[in-house]
Amino acid sequence: MPFNLRKTSWRTTVFILFLLLTGSMVLATGIGAVRINPVEILKIFFSRIPLLSSIIVHDWPQADETIIWLIRLPRVVLAALVGASLAVAGAVFQGLFRNPMADPYIIGVSSGASLGAAVAIVFSVDINILGLSAVPLLAFIGALLTLIVVYRLSKVGGNVAVLTLLLAGIAVSSLLSAAVSLLMFLGGEKLHQLIFWLMGGFSGRQWNYVKMGIPYFFLGSAAVFFYARDLNAMLLGEEPAQHLGIDVENVKKILLVGASLLTAAAVSCGGVIGFIGLIIPHIVRIMIGPDHRILLPAVAFIGAISLVAADAIARTVLAPMEIPVGIITTLCGGPFFIYLLRQRKNKAL
Amino acid sequence: MSAVALQIHDIICSYGSRPVLDGITFRINKGDFVGIIGPNGSGKTTLLKTISRVLTPRSGKIVLLNKDINFMTRPEIARRLAVVAQDNRIDFDFTVEEVVLMGRLPHLRRFEKESQKDLAKAHKAMELTRTSHLASRLITELSGGEKQRVMIARALTQQPEVLLLDEPTSHLDINHQTEILDLMKKLSRENKLTIAAVLHDLNTAAHYCDYLILLSEGKVFALGSPQEVITADNIKAVYNSDVLVTNHPVYKRPMVTPLSRLEESPEREMLNFSVHVVGGGGAASPLLQKLVTSGYRVTAGVLNISDSDWQKAKALGIPVVEAPPFSAITEKGYKNNLELMQKADAVILASIPFGFGNLKNLEAVLAAAQNGRFTIVLEEDDITRRDYTDGEASKIYYNLIKNEVYIVHSIKEVLDVLAQEVKKCKGGN
Repeated sequence: MPFNLRKTSWRTTVFILFLLLTGSMVLATGIGAVRINPVEILKIFFSRIPLLSSIIVHDWPQADETIIWLIRLPRVVLAALVGASLAVAGAVFQGLFRNPMADPYIIGVSSGASLGAAVAIVFSVDINILGLSAVPLLAFIGALLTLIVVYRLSKVGGNVAVLTLLLAGIAVSSLLSAAVSLLMFLGGEKLHQLIFWLMGGFSGRQWNYVKMGIPYFFLGSAAVFFYARDLNAMLLGEEPAQHLGIDVENVKKILLVGASLLTAAAVSCGGVIGFIGLIIPHIVRIMIGPDHRILLPAVAFIGAISLVAADAIARTVLAPMEIPVGIITTLCGGPFFIYLLRQRKNKAL
Repeated sequence: MSAVALQIHDIICSYGSRPVLDGITFRINKGDFVGIIGPNGSGKTTLLKTISRVLTPRSGKIVLLNKDINFMTRPEIARRLAVVAQDNRIDFDFTVEEVVLMGRLPHLRRFEKESQKDLAKAHKAMELTRTSHLASRLITELSGGEKQRVMIARALTQQPEVLLLDEPTSHLDINHQTEILDLMKKLSRENKLTIAAVLHDLNTAAHYCDYLILLSEGKVFALGSPQEVITADNIKAVYNSDVLVTNHPVYKRPMVTPLSRLEESPEREMLNFSVHVVGGGGAASPLLQKLVTSGYRVTAGVLNISDSDWQKAKALGIPVVEAPPFSAITEKGYKNNLELMQKADAVILASIPFGFGNLKNLEAVLAAAQNGRFTIVLEEDDITRRDYTDGEASKIYYNLIKNEVYIVHSIKEVLDVLAQEVKKCKGGN
């Protein structure tokens, strides 16, 4: 194993990952049509912090500040948030379903978001709340409604059966996907815009998206981090977890809602970005083991770093053209996933 | 001091409208190793799930160490009661130590990290279950037996007073089965751990458990010591299968041999072959034991109540023609004895001493032999040394052996002769 961090302490691991994330965000902010060096970026950043601003010598062009503060930084921050959300949600779903092949979209939240976005785009819905347009708003509402419907469907006498949840997710998800296809068919000239959204990306996203996503990011993360240890026990199975004194039904519901909120926020901000939620928990588990108390924070950092990097590639590799970031993640994630599958197969033999 | 660890009172539990547990009541004392047995679908696993509050019963009460579990929080229950489930599928690469350490969960506050003390407790449990050497191995790489031992270590790390096991040995080889059950026995003896285990194998259950609870269709069918619970009649009634219940020669525990349902099986032939033994005073006890163990249907007579052959016969569940203690055999006893001989396929005269009180036994054998009954005379000692009737017994005895009887000198020979006869009868049919 190349990076075995199992023995490293919680603090050290989190500290290292924090530094790595900061570094990659600064680098990502620097690259683009106009290259800006990291020192200048840090200066611009710290000048925005009330107490520090007086110490910092203002020696950069105003244009750079506009590019950094209004265009690149919100986009990088959003990519980090979405990456972290998807990766954490993926890890939680894999734990909940006791299946390492689960991903954040498994119960259909993404299909609900897609339908919301499709409605907004195709019917040119014109609303504006807190500076947010109809697309992210309807996507978020679609995602939440899907969660509620799937959750209701799979609830039997107060209990949520994981297998029923999975099946209800598949059923609802295919229904919603059909509706999205119908809208695409009817969409006419809006088709291009819709496809672009579905492939996922952060093109033109500004601080208002960050503001929309951040409360759900913290709410969802808090919920799942709070029950990280319970999730460990649940990997032994629901009954063994109960025997260890865990209120499995409640924990399951909270984790389900928490992870779905993270997914809903991520999808409505960045579209349906594939493979981050599936691959990142895998890689991190190989590096530090399945203990969710460290796995979840680590997954959040590495998910954030990966998506920041993927977005940087997406907007630079064919510049001035921008590739949807979902294509980059899938292009990188797909082969890696195949590699993992082969590893698993070899292990089984 | 009341030493009841677990008290189950009138539990009723149902899936839908079908009752799975239908008024179960029993109690388990501290330090007992209790086996829960019963056919598939009799409610064993449901019972365990109800005790561990995975399932809530429709009615009834479960008292764990003097406290109703309905008024306990889950961690509270988990600090007193640990469960080793049947299915231990784990797809995630936890190390063995991490899994065992999870047993401390009910003792920790949220966000409290496991201390050195907790680690020490986990290591202690791993020593007991001989899994210390596996500590840093991944749980996904272990064999079934190793994994089972790790799950038991995890349960012991909870430091419970009551341990429930659901078929702990069902997927294991015989050596691992023995190892795990020996460990359970040791824990119940030395650490006063109360154990209730669902067991599939009746012989294992009889061999290891202090008490057995036999379930049938959601009800307690029988309850008590293995000798009381494991009887051919109980097994027939609950499992609807013919078995031979014998006593283990060393451990004095009941032993179950299933009888094949095929008509042709040799056990069947034996079971249908009846043998009448004339004994008394203890001289026939080893023979009675051996015959029952071998599977013959045995009757005996005439035996004086409470002499040692009589006691042995009663213990083996053999029908006996009785006479009061130290009394001579009456005409009626003689007739009853003869009647059993006529019904039997073979008559065996054990190497018993004769006095005036039991001369009628010898006469009965003579009568049977003269009637053409297949008769075996076991002569472990010369008749003159067993004759306390001034030669009268010897006279009848010599008369007897003039008939067509087999004279043998050991129990082994008796069995050989009988086996041949069984074969012959089978051929004759």
